[in-house]
Amino acid sequence: MTPALLSDSPPRSSPLSFEEQDFIDRLIVQHRGRPGMLLSLLEAIQERQPNKYLPVEVLDYLAARTGIPGAQIYSVATFYSLFNLKPQGEHTVCICRGTACHTRGSRNLLERVKLQLGLKEEDEDGSAEKMCATTADRRFTVRTVACFGQCALAPVAEIDHSILGHVNERALEREVDAIKRGGQR
Amino acid sequence: MKRISDLSSFNDVREAGLSKLLPDRPRIAIGMGTCGTGNGAESVYHAFADAINTRGLGMNLARTGCFGFCAAEPLVNVYLPGKPLVILQRVQPNDVPGILDDLASGRMPTGLALCKIEEWDHITGHVRFGVGLPEIPHWHEVPFFTGQKKIVLRNCGLINPNEIDEYIAIGGYQALYKVLIDNNPDMVIEAVKAAKLRGRGGAGYQTGIKWEFLRKAQSERKYIICNADEGDPGAYMNRNEIESDPHSLIEGMIIGGYVMGATEGILYVRAEYPLAVHRLNSAIEQARECGLLGDNILGRGFRFDLQLVEGAGAFVCGEETALIRSLEGKAGRPTPRPPYPAEHGLYGCPTNINNVETWYNIAPIVIKGPGWFTETGSAKSPGTKVFSLVGKVNNTGLVEMPLGTPLKTFVYDVGGGGTHGRAIKAVQTGGPSGGCIPQEMFDTPVDYESLGQLGSIMGSGGMVVMDEDNCMVDVARYFIEFTHSESCGKCIPCRVGLDKSLYYLNRITQGKGTEADFDLLDDLSRMIRDTSLCGLGQTAPNPVLTTMRHFRHEFEDHIRAARCRAGVCEDLALSPCENSCPLHMNIPRFLQLLKEDRLEEAFVSVVMDNPLPASTGRVCQHPCDNRCRRTGVDSAVNMREVHRYIADAIYPSDRFDALASDIAARRKPLTGKRCAVVGAGPTGLACAFYLCMLGHEVMVYDSNPAAGGMLRYALPDYRLPKDVLDREVELIRRTGVQFTFNTQVPRDVSLNDLDGQYDAVFLSIGTWKESWVYLPGTELTGVIPALPFLEAVSKEQPVPLGKRVTVIGGGNAAIDSARTALRLGSKVTIIYRRERKDMPAIPEETEAAEAEGAEIVFLATPHRIVGGPDGRVQAIEAVRTKLGEYDSSGRRRPMPTNEIIRFACDTVILAVGETVDLDFAKASGLKIKESGLIEVDRYTLETSRSKFYAGGDLITGASNVSNAMGYGKKAARNIDRRLMNVRRWEEVFPSFEYDQAPPAHASEAPRHHVEEVDAAQRATTFAEATIGLAPVDAMEEACRCLRCDVRNGDH
Amino acid sequence: MPQKISLRIDGELIHTAAGQSILDAAKAHNKFIPALCHMKGLSSVGACRLCIVEVAGVGRLLPACTTPVQDGMSVTTQSDKLRRYRRIALELLFAERNHVCAVCVSNGFCELQGLAKRLGVTNVRYPYTYPKVPIDLTHPRYTADQNRCILCSRCVRVCAEVEGAHVWEISGRGVGSRLVCELNRSWGESTNCTSCGKCVQSCPTGAIAEKGFAVEEMSKRTDPISRLATLRAAGSDNKPGVIL
Repeated sequence: MTPALLSDSPPRSSPLSFEEQDFIDRLIVQHRGRPGMLLSLLEAIQERQPNKYLPVEVLDYLAARTGIPGAQIYSVATFYSLFNLKPQGEHTVCICRGTACHTRGSRNLLERVKLQLGLKEEDEDGSAEKMCATTADRRFTVRTVACFGQCALAPVAEIDHSILGHVNERALEREVDAIKRGGQR
Repeated sequence: MKRISDLSSFNDVREAGLSKLLPDRPRIAIGMGTCGTGNGAESVYHAFADAINTRGLGMNLARTGCFGFCAAEPLVNVYLPGKPLVILQRVQPNDVPGILDDLASGRMPTGLALCKIEEWDHITGHVRFGVGLPEIPHWHEVPFFTGQKKIVLRNCGLINPNEIDEYIAIGGYQALYKVLIDNNPDMVIEAVKAAKLRGRGGAGYQTGIKWEFLRKAQSERKYIICNADEGDPGAYMNRNEIESDPHSLIEGMIIGGYVMGATEGILYVRAEYPLAVHRLNSAIEQARECGLLGDNILGRGFRFDLQLVEGAGAFVCGEETALIRSLEGKAGRPTPRPPYPAEHGLYGCPTNINNVETWYNIAPIVIKGPGWFTETGSAKSPGTKVFSLVGKVNNTGLVEMPLGTPLKTFVYDVGGGGTHGRAIKAVQTGGPSGGCIPQEMFDTPVDYESLGQLGSIMGSGGMVVMDEDNCMVDVARYFIEFTHSESCGKCIPCRVGLDKSLYYLNRITQGKGTEADFDLLDDLSRMIRDTSLCGLGQTAPNPVLTTMRHFRHEFEDHIRAARCRAGVCEDLALSPCENSCPLHMNIPRFLQLLKEDRLEEAFVSVVMDNPLPASTGRVCQHPCDNRCRRTGVDSAVNMREVHRYIADAIYPSDRFDALASDIAARRKPLTGKRCAVVGAGPTGLACAFYLCMLGHEVMVYDSNPAAGGMLRYALPDYRLPKDVLDREVELIRRTGVQFTFNTQVPRDVSLNDLDGQYDAVFLSIGTWKESWVYLPGTELTGVIPALPFLEAVSKEQPVPLGKRVTVIGGGNAAIDSARTALRLGSKVTIIYRRERKDMPAIPEETEAAEAEGAEIVFLATPHRIVGGPDGRVQAIEAVRTKLGEYDSSGRRRPMPTNEIIRFACDTVILAVGETVDLDFAKASGLKIKESGLIEVDRYTLETSRSKFYAGGDLITGASNVSNAMGYGKKAARNIDRRLMNVRRWEEVFPSFEYDQAPPAHASEAPRHHVEEVDAAQRATTFAEATIGLAPVDAMEEACRCLRCDVRNGDH
Repeated sequence: MPQKISLRIDGELIHTAAGQSILDAAKAHNKFIPALCHMKGLSSVGACRLCIVEVAGVGRLLPACTTPVQDGMSVTTQSDKLRRYRRIALELLFAERNHVCAVCVSNGFCELQGLAKRLGVTNVRYPYTYPKVPIDLTHPRYTADQNRCILCSRCVRVCAEVEGAHVWEISGRGVGSRLVCELNRSWGESTNCTSCGKCVQSCPTGAIAEKGFAVEEMSKRTDPISRLATLRAAGSDNKPGVIL
């Protein structure tokens, strides 16, 4: 009835480092038996990954240690839009596609930044409206979010977790340029 | 933090908190919700912190939540002991030194003051700040707050969300204490039931009844859950509530846990709200330390604890069964009900789920009782609801209003109307599950039932205001795109049905949709609504169904005419300017041709799109200005003046002759079809030009001795010199159009005659009949209607004009009359019943009239014209009006006051609107609408009589030159289609090769305005009042175009 | 002994045991209600929405598979509206994936095809999506062709609930939902699969099939699984790995 406890069965030979294994084991102990355990585990694990994604080896290890079927973990990891199964870029530009932002032209912002970073349709995962695309050099990931809840500042974009309100195409272009240049120095 | 176990320890914390809220020295609190931070509150906070530190000032600095007025952020609360709390708005770091200077010397910084609060009802407690500062308005006197009642938001923006003692100071956890002391859970449930508190998450189910189910459920383990997975795009009240006042939520849940017999509570918060998660976690921690969570709460032996779970980005988890599955570690796919969560919820245990805002109402109900609660709101929906008012309104933010408040109060009073004075078209309520409510229905009270009747829902309280720049079909498509990507995929109707709905909506917004698509979409939407498994699918078609119901004409425009009036659907327009142009001129093309120094080709491009460019170049209302994307950089490209420049550069030059021959040579071979055009005004001329170019034989009839209609006989010479018009008519004549002047239809030639002689007849008579107002005294000598006056002046006939003229009206005819009268030596006053921004006249014209010495009196309604014993006008009396309620056009209705103003004058010019003289049509088999205009098919302009088409003022009422010409052009296209039965319209237009690359960077050039002749000089003469752009200015202006017509990847 | 109740289905008075679903009660009295995701012995998920019925006094349509019978209930299983909606649901399924019956192993035995025939769906008005979906031939004995999958989740449930292996799940969401084997492995690499074949037999279409069958050869038997599941529910044990 309650979620599985730390499984005694040792994992199949895992490619994870001892540190990583230990981190996951501790997390499991901390969350076991609590509602929302799997979500919390996946969130914490992804946050710790340098490229903010969930590698399959990690999921494998998690399945073995928690006893949660791999199929269920995969189902959860692909259902929620917060989880990434592919490595993300160094910088994330996130465009809000909420209603207020849409009515104030956020689609143009998205198109503009994609053009600026040279992203094409084929780079995208998922359907057009839930886009998430990473540049070939892994420097930038452009993604959308359903709504930041910053509607009074519409249109809104977020660059590396800082919110830009009332942003227009020019301002966004400048911000992204600044990051681009910053890296070349 | 000290553990609270009895009344005295409770009071100790309370005292500590009060001394923070009302310290004996100045306190500065910065609104630092996410919205404040997004507007720069963080740097304001640091500016204060640094300055207080370096100056060594004895002041308290605190962070608080958001007071709701997001448009005025960053908000800063300042408190001086004994004075009211003052809220400063739009504070920037460089304002900080000044504010501190004032405070340090005991003064209140009033410069940035938004409002003051003398005392505040926290409902669970009361805080008196102080009285005084009469120069600052009370908070509820600020329009944005007028009518708001803060129950849920009672503490937001006033206390520090990170300090539990401040919450306790304003009566926090008193309700919990009372409930635990009373030890009568049933009584609490009865109170919630009696308060008729309905779930604030959207469905509106009675909270008390839900609580009773869980209380009665028999189980060792029960859960209560707060649904803070606020996923509706456009709604953010839960975020703000949690960020600003987390303890009210926690207190509500502890009370809920106690009365329902649950020992575990879960807060499911969306991960996109990191600040809310952070503040809630720290609030939970503090509550635990104080003994308000955990074992033996408040020493009463009750055990309850809370746990926060972050959702991971799935809108469907707002659905309670999906949320439960998500907590169980599964994908958030809803499961059927029954079984209901109250019997079989999380891990199979009885579970209660309530929305964030529902929990916020609990403590007030416990403290004040259900009777107090039901005093607010409507009978079926008591209490208040927090709405996020966003989109195209001036004042955006969170507003808490009593349920049942009419929609127009939100939009116009609180929201302050549309941005940039644009007309508001609709409000979208309820997010992706709701619908769009058209402006005509803004009287609707906002409650669960009323919105439901319109096909929308209240939902979580999102209100997104849409104006004329929003395409409703696009909005419907947007929401389907959203639900389509958020559908869990479990049930067929929602998974596949929404996919196909999106397909049809995409087709329609791309102009490829058919009427069959519309019907399939309609049918499919109903099926999805009626058969889907969960609320997401059942409500997902609402945006489509309500749009089909309330904005059907927009769907028709897209399907039948491949036209998106708002200019949003990019595939249906070349560029925003082209879309807004009634003649659909290819504006980027002529700008680019000019930029490439190809003036002659630019001229051909212009003339082929618009056969009267020198006229429209002077008098067009230029709707393109409002749509130009360049507005986002600096200001719109001056497209009107550039095409005037192109026309003026060619017409009087020696190149004209050759170009006119070239254009005439483009005429298609004769078709043998004969067409008649009735009326040689701009509408008729445009239609005749295109019919002629298409190879038809065209005869234009007009009662006047020359062509031009209103352009010649109503527009004064200083706006449009006659020689300019003559050259334009000459070009049209050169293409082969024939004219019969001094011949009135039907007096001299009957409609039946035309029917017999021609294959098609286009009626384009202008609005020459002045509407007469009912006004005592109009029979007096000296009262003259505007158009006959203007006509007489243009024909150089004598006009009986006195020394002091009063013009009644606010349209172009009023301004033209006023400026003409000024030139004839009179002193002029214009009386208009509304405000300046409501005037239909071109703003530049109004300004020019004022510069020339006309006085304009706004908000005055003529009451009577006073005559002397000689039967001549002596004066006019008007009633001073003030602005009242919003009318159905979204403008405030002028309401009469008792004040009468009198203007002495000897002439009154009535310019209150013109109508068409339709007497001729009545016996001719042409159907006339109730409005007194001819009925035509909106898309083909065919009248009820075969062969006969009509356009311009005849079908719209008085309009403007470009609109009228647009109809002439459209009629020509449809007449040709009918006569020839093939599509050949495009064949008339030459093609041009020109550069297809947008400028890499917007040029740093400001807009070139047209130069005006000095006011004193021009006011005495009928010579043209403006000087067109110089060649170099026109070129620079052309270079300013951002080339929206070039699509990404086109080059 | 469960309580006996009476209800009307399409006007006919029926006496039956409380606690069962409308669908079971109707079936027991030879009343046909179309359904695809329902399978006796597995939990009901109410996903295909074909079994929707009208219940007097209830504003919305209810799925017969998850709605329990109630005393005095009056159920309508056939009406113009229901027929229209069921037809749309089937058309949507055909439009979603690539169901080419002529080359399908289950042609003639397919439940989707059977229902379409029975409900008179002869054409699909909606455009086909033609998604690119995987065909998995890595398992030594079975094949999984997602072109034929209708996402009914019968394989998921039979594997998790009856076999206890939980090899299958649905990944993604919305139209992007796909049947997935464990951590997105190919079926042949599955560590948990017992090759019991229950998913094969439960699949209503030709999506999961046995190798070695040609077109029109793959008939399936769900009855043994249903019996096994019922026995299990009644307490008798079942060893995983029993091959049907």
